[in-house]
Amino acid sequence: MKSTGLALGLGVLGVVFLIIGVLYGLGVLQIAVSDPHAAHHYTHLILFVVLAVASFVAANFVRPKGTIYMTDRPRR
Amino acid sequence: MTLAQALLMGLLQGATELFPVSSLGHAVLIPSLLRWSFKQSDPSFLPFLVLLHLGTAAALLVLYRQEWLAIIKGFFTAAIRGQIETDTERLAMLLLVGTIPAAVLGVFLQTKIKNLFASPSEAAVFLVVNGVLMIGFELLRRRAERRAVVSAGSRAQQEEQFAQAERISFRAAAVVGACQALAFLPGISRSGVTIGGGLLAGLRHQEAARFSFLLATPVILGAGIVEVPQLFASGVPIAEYLAGAVLSGIAAYASARFLLRYFRSGRLDPYGVYCIAAGLVSLALLHFSL
Repeated sequence: MKSTGLALGLGVLGVVFLIIGVLYGLGVLQIAVSDPHAAHHYTHLILFVVLAVASFVAANFVRPKGTIYMTDRPRR
Repeated sequence: MTLAQALLMGLLQGATELFPVSSLGHAVLIPSLLRWSFKQSDPSFLPFLVLLHLGTAAALLVLYRQEWLAIIKGFFTAAIRGQIETDTERLAMLLLVGTIPAAVLGVFLQTKIKNLFASPSEAAVFLVVNGVLMIGFELLRRRAERRAVVSAGSRAQQEEQFAQAERISFRAAAVVGACQALAFLPGISRSGVTIGGGLLAGLRHQEAARFSFLLATPVILGAGIVEVPQLFASGVPIAEYLAGAVLSGIAAYASARFLLRYFRSGRLDPYGVYCIAAGLVSLALLHFSL
């Protein structure tokens, strides 16, 4: 399933995950955390970085790859 | 916690983490049944569990050191190329897909679930449920064997007609990964549900165990590393804890080697029977305060 749109969507999702991760890391986001008084949530930061990496990898997988034309091959 | 208790807990954790019998269930039940004085709610107990898990993860890394090097290399190669070309690259991506559901559920639900079900009686009940699950997985597997008309022969020959870990679908890998979250319930075995999930996805027993162990490594290691700062809290008897962790690693290495050999022809049923029996006996002992 190759699609430029899907690849772009996954790339954007990866960026969103990164931003959420940084916000958890800085302690700005306090949603669904075990200790709401903690200054930083590194577990959540690591999780969202992993999710971002997975999104970027998936985006690279669904991105249509360049085509090599046989006629361009140098001839002897 | 005394040195003897730390060593026994290390041995217990290392052995039961990989056997499909629930390490968490045993960690909750055994101290209660032996009436040990330390409390699992004690702040110094979490660092101890962290070290034991790091010992188990280290054992798995040593056991699969060559494979992990190939998997890491395969991951980066496939991720940059944007295409899977080898079995190792496929396995690397399957492990990523399988790890994500467990990591998400672990981060957001683990504390809530553990707080809900941390009593010995509940652990004993879930141990019985785990036993029923193991037997259920094997019943479904036997049905699949009959449907596939697996030719008669030795058990090892029958097993060879099922797939290797690299052949599992990505959807099945995600489901098997999500099954790991069930193990937050004390008494439900992480390796048991992932091996069972692998069997339902059509893997050989040995390959299901291999996939389960590979899938466990990043989760156990990640959870351990995240909790490492707890080790530097004051009042942590680090020498006793380290001794327990070393023993946990040795026990985990030995049990992984044993299980990989056992699952060449063995099944999950004996562990299912053990879990049901251990759960029922524990319930009786706890109920009658024996």
